[in-house]
Amino acid sequence: MKKIENKKASQIRQIWALVRKSTFIKLGVSIMILFGIMAVFSPIWIHINPEVYDPIIGADPNVHGSVGPSLQHPLGTDDIGKDLFSQLLRGSQVAFMLGMMVSVFSTIIGAAIGLIAGYYGKIWDTLLMRLADIILTLPRLPLLIVISGIFGTQSNWIILLILSLTFWPIISRVIRAQTLSLRERPFIESARVSGVGNTRIIVKHLAPNVLPIAFYYLTVTVTGAILVEAGLSFLGFGDPSNMSWGMMLQWCFVKGYVFKAPYWMIPPGLCISLLAFSFYLIGVGLEEMVNPRLKKR
Amino acid sequence: MGKYIIGRIIQIIITFFIVMSIIFLLFRIIPSDPSSFLLTPSMTAEAKETIRKQFGLDEPIAVQYFIYLKNFVHGNFGTSFYSGRPVMSIIMERMLNSILLITTAVIIAYIIGVSIGKAIAWKRGSKTEKFFVILGLWFYTTFTPWLGIMFLWIFSFKLKLFPLGGMITPEKWILDPSLMEKICDMGYHLILPLVTYVLLWFGGYMLLMRNSMLETLKEDYIVTARAKGLKEKVIKNKHAARNAMLPIVTAFAISVSFSIGGAVLIETIFSWPGIGRTIVEATLRQDYPLVQGAFAVITLVVLLANFVADIAYAYLDPRISY
Repeated sequence: MKKIENKKASQIRQIWALVRKSTFIKLGVSIMILFGIMAVFSPIWIHINPEVYDPIIGADPNVHGSVGPSLQHPLGTDDIGKDLFSQLLRGSQVAFMLGMMVSVFSTIIGAAIGLIAGYYGKIWDTLLMRLADIILTLPRLPLLIVISGIFGTQSNWIILLILSLTFWPIISRVIRAQTLSLRERPFIESARVSGVGNTRIIVKHLAPNVLPIAFYYLTVTVTGAILVEAGLSFLGFGDPSNMSWGMMLQWCFVKGYVFKAPYWMIPPGLCISLLAFSFYLIGVGLEEMVNPRLKKR
Repeated sequence: MGKYIIGRIIQIIITFFIVMSIIFLLFRIIPSDPSSFLLTPSMTAEAKETIRKQFGLDEPIAVQYFIYLKNFVHGNFGTSFYSGRPVMSIIMERMLNSILLITTAVIIAYIIGVSIGKAIAWKRGSKTEKFFVILGLWFYTTFTPWLGIMFLWIFSFKLKLFPLGGMITPEKWILDPSLMEKICDMGYHLILPLVTYVLLWFGGYMLLMRNSMLETLKEDYIVTARAKGLKEKVIKNKHAARNAMLPIVTAFAISVSFSIGGAVLIETIFSWPGIGRTIVEATLRQDYPLVQGAFAVITLVVLLANFVADIAYAYLDPRISY
């Protein structure tokens, strides 16, 4: 028993050594931690003076029009005296939550469908993969715009649902391919021969082996989800009950402050790009570690 | 091969049919009355009735569905609620503008991305490689409208080098200039959106080409080529790059579907009168016939691009037979 633990510990050490060598992962994780701190700091900042700093209902009564950075408002205010810094902090929370949830949901859906299609094959495979093809060819952003337009007011839950339902096919295709090759391995065969049920084989024997690849797609999906949500919010189809970075940029654009107030225009776009960038960097770093064909000669 | 193509065509038709049916159903569960936008309170009851009849809003849903499908097959998307023009003619006009922007941008991004990808794969592990990967990734994940706004702010607003948006300068076109002047004016308006697009897209091609190159370099025929004593340049360009191009061909066509998503944002920022901006504006104005038509055309273009990608791949790679 102790030997197994030692083996696991050394495995973790090995992975850690690889991670530390990867510039991409280091850079990505550093940026991510920065935004994590921002997200955590958001309620603390609001707590200082909720009437002024709340990103939804707060506003500074002493401010008329948009003003630049000051001690009281580190990033300035928007045209009705709302604190931009608190909006930016809240945006970090929204982006993290939405990105993570979409990627987790779509990875779960994608992994389940990929495993089922790959393991059962035949009609299941054909049906599920055709469905994946159809969803994959849908133009995602126009579809989201049309759906938002139809439902009128948009909520983050609908965005979350639609994004999760459109991001899984890429994951399921890869998982399916993996499952197809794993299915014929001796350990699966022996499990089947010794009478283990299909569900148990999938959950206990197949799923753990496809998880590393699923993890890579998870990070890439976060990037996609963050960018699509931001784009949607920027176009005016975001959830009006919350404050996201895309929405901050939209207000700046709609109210005609894009050229007048760089302190309002630059931060939200920079944050969206940096957070999306960090997740993608981690994904690329992981890909280099997982894919043996990309290893250095 | 013939059987494969027919199979794919049938699949495209089925997909398109499913998508259009979903869109039809979605539009019929709209909470508000779609005619409300078209009818203003000042209209007489008679005028309202005429318009309702004209747009077929009073028919039962099943009948509406068949009218809708029949019209689509005939390329008749109805009349825009907002402008009163036939949807088809609006879409055709806007689609041409989008194609001008997207194809130019995708081709330039493709050439730049593939050449850099080829070069950095050859220099695996160097500082140059890392720099370009990080640069490409940064632009690939940059928030599209933000990059566009930054460019407008710097180059158009501060430096006054480029126009603030649009596709033409209307004042110049009224004077009926020569064709050459017209092309120059359009090109002048095209530069900023084009540069934004290329920067956003070259990274994707670059990374794909790099990965594909790295995989190809491990193949036996590369070892053979080296053993034969061929020049490095010949191995890189003739042996490795040609084979590494295969997956990129597919990616080229698939990226069309993603570029249309990006076009929505870029066209909005640069007021480019393309199909992406059309779908945003039409949705905001609740101009449902135009939204339906634009979405149908976008979906069709994406499906066709994927079809072309598959055929090209099958044609280029002799190892694949159907």
